[in-house]
Amino acid sequence: MENVGYFAPSDVGQALELLAEQGSKATVLAGGTDLVPAINYYSLWPENLIFIGALGLDYIKEEGGKLLIGSGATWTQILEDPLVAEKAPALAQAARQGGSVATRNAGTVGGNLANASPAADLTVILLALEAEVLLKSSAGKRTVALKDFFTGPGETVMNDDELLMEVQIPLPAGSAAFQKLGRRKAMTLSVVNAGVKLNLDGDTCSGACIALGAMAPTPLRCSAAEEMLVGKKLDAALIAECAAAAVAAGSPIDDQRASAWYRTKAGTAIVARALAQAAGIGG
Amino acid sequence: MKSILSFSLNGAPVEVLVKTTDTLLDVLRESLGYTGAKRGCDAGDCGACTVIVDGLAIRACLAIALTMSGKEVVTIEGLGKQGDLHPLQKAFHQHGAHQCGFCTSGMIVSAKTLLDKIPNPSQDEIVEYMSGNICRCGTYVEVAEAIQAVSGGKE
Amino acid sequence: MTEYVGKPMPRYQGLGEVTGTATYVDDVQYPGMLYVKVLRSPVARGTVKGLDFSDTLKVPGVVGVLTADDIPGVNIYGVYGDQLVLNPQDLRYKGEPIAAVVGRDEDAAQAGVEAVKLDVEELTPVFDMFEAMKPDAPIVRPGTTSNLFEYDEQGTTTRIIKLGDVEAGLKEADHIVEGRYIEAIQDHAAMEPQVSVALIDDAGRLTIHTHSQCLNYHLAQLCPVFGLSQSKINYLGGRVGGGYGGKNEINCDHIAGLAALKFCAPVKYRLTRQEDLAYTGKRGAWVFDYKTGVMNDGRIVASHIKEYHDSGAYCGFSPYGTEKCGMFASGPYNIPNILIEANTIFTNRYPSISMRGYSVLNGQVAADVQMSRIAEKLGMDPWELRFINAWRDGDMGASRYVVDGVGALEAMKRAAGMAGIELPDKLLQMSSRSR
Repeated sequence: MENVGYFAPSDVGQALELLAEQGSKATVLAGGTDLVPAINYYSLWPENLIFIGALGLDYIKEEGGKLLIGSGATWTQILEDPLVAEKAPALAQAARQGGSVATRNAGTVGGNLANASPAADLTVILLALEAEVLLKSSAGKRTVALKDFFTGPGETVMNDDELLMEVQIPLPAGSAAFQKLGRRKAMTLSVVNAGVKLNLDGDTCSGACIALGAMAPTPLRCSAAEEMLVGKKLDAALIAECAAAAVAAGSPIDDQRASAWYRTKAGTAIVARALAQAAGIGG
Repeated sequence: MKSILSFSLNGAPVEVLVKTTDTLLDVLRESLGYTGAKRGCDAGDCGACTVIVDGLAIRACLAIALTMSGKEVVTIEGLGKQGDLHPLQKAFHQHGAHQCGFCTSGMIVSAKTLLDKIPNPSQDEIVEYMSGNICRCGTYVEVAEAIQAVSGGKE
Repeated sequence: MTEYVGKPMPRYQGLGEVTGTATYVDDVQYPGMLYVKVLRSPVARGTVKGLDFSDTLKVPGVVGVLTADDIPGVNIYGVYGDQLVLNPQDLRYKGEPIAAVVGRDEDAAQAGVEAVKLDVEELTPVFDMFEAMKPDAPIVRPGTTSNLFEYDEQGTTTRIIKLGDVEAGLKEADHIVEGRYIEAIQDHAAMEPQVSVALIDDAGRLTIHTHSQCLNYHLAQLCPVFGLSQSKINYLGGRVGGGYGGKNEINCDHIAGLAALKFCAPVKYRLTRQEDLAYTGKRGAWVFDYKTGVMNDGRIVASHIKEYHDSGAYCGFSPYGTEKCGMFASGPYNIPNILIEANTIFTNRYPSISMRGYSVLNGQVAADVQMSRIAEKLGMDPWELRFINAWRDGDMGASRYVVDGVGALEAMKRAAGMAGIELPDKLLQMSSRSR
């Protein structure tokens, strides 16, 4: 790796020009928590690294009825931000359960999305919160709903010249919850995780989003399960039925973290817990 | 491609020639000879290479060295030395919070950032904060005791 | 002396650990140091048909390669002397070292490894001990006819440990309880990955900085590989970043030493965490079949145990581990009739080695899960079952050792106390001093 180039643009315009110039030869570096192990273990031999940590993309703000989070905001920022705590506490809850203090201090929300791991924790709650991402290139910009963003493990709709700028969460963010099952409590990737958002009209559900991670090649929205809740009053029986339907939308695999069988069993419980938590039902 | 990296290491300015793919851990250990931060996994999982950058604990093995340009890096060597130990170093030694010692520098550096943030942590706060530092000898109980001893403890 | 007993003492060398100045092997650096990466078998069983380094030698920064032909002594090491330092031919497990590439840095050495043109004919491997014992199973050790370790020149494959008459005991028993116990492999995962630094020192000796847990033992294995007497090797150890038995096995010292000899330069060879987890010795897998005869009052009168230990592709520590395990597989209990039949079986997995409480724990875990199963079958409190049968001074173990200074009952009482379990008086009154 003698000849790897390094670029640290100081503004977005420069960064986009570099991306346009280099296309597939550029590897974007943010917090490095996923990228650097790949370099250390020789599974990635990059040509050029473009470091985007100096672009000022680490903001969190409310604007135009949306919570806007710069792609460079770290897990720690999300976890500690008062605006997130007020407007989308489930996102902070998810941030708290990822990695360790030291990896949360470096890892970014943009990296979690762009890395496109099917098990990513922030991703699954953002999917449930119906977030969109703002992508920019030197040619223009577009917003993409997260549910249309992922195309496979490690694959997204982003073009080589595009930069993930910002995550946009529509407000109000309903009553949301995140649940995760890992092999241990900390420093662990999810065996299965779930994010849910419920719009409650009294105790009747007027809208639901259910997102599931580590159950398919991409993080998943479970529309059939969501529809089961609309217009209904949530109780334990409905939650159990809905959780089973959500998991049925997945296509889990056997890997070193868990078997498909276990993911199905555990996933059902995890979705049910998230639903109960979002609905404010005890237990 | 090699570039010159300038940053502050334990309070003193440093300039060093690095490769793009060198991590902060590579540079500290192999270019500068600061071997207190250990290479346990090179993947951010074990915590043995924990260092402080601009006041926050990070994994030196996950940081591309060039991104440290202009930053303030503190390693275990910057906390204290023999004859002039940091209170945490003294407490780890007194409480036997180390066995093979390979995780110890990362543990102490993490604990330092914990106490900077929460001067009087509860046992639960210690356990949660320190959960990213792995010890295979099993010194976790003594590590928590040592941190409690320095912070004055809180039931 | 007594003033120190029972009192905590700060760790010897501990100040170096808390200040980060303690020197572990990977902390050792020399000017002009070269780095090694190893070409490993991509298959669990196969034959090398071609090995071409022409592209490797063109990689910038590659200094050269190390093959079995470069070994000045013998290409053999290991406790049982059956393992190859570099295997150019019949590959027995995935990750087995074939050759090494030496470079000015690790990136170059790795690029060199990736440039090797390796042609391997893959053969059907066997991973399951019971499959490996079938007559038509793939043979793990070329040139042999079975996958069972032979304990003597007569070809004995089953180690037998016998006390009393197990058939008679089982006949006499009121109940027979059977159970199979399967134990998976386990890695040491010491915080310090395996590493070695070797160089020719100013006295002309081969100096090796090692984290070996057993210096003299390893030195005896290394001398014939290097073709050097002990006086020509300066084997420097003492600082181990966690071992737990995993550093009873040589993983780096032989290859680093060979490279230092060939290239006349300081050499560092270290494993990545992934290599360390995937390719170094493990506590091997065990399977036990228990058949226990027990009386209505809870007395165990017979124990017939079949023990199967997965040695992996080479001996590692396994034949010894199998025997040691067998000696204790009936647990810390007084059983008059015991028959233990133990086998060591080769499979195409990594060689099994020592780990904390090596092999004894494996049998004892199985023995005590079996005890719980017996208690359940009898409808008896499992504490009571253990108290009735636990060793007292003067009892005899499976291999006819008479036990003395026993503390099983006292340990169980204390464990119960710590767990907040109140034991009935009749158990509390029992003592290891008498039955």
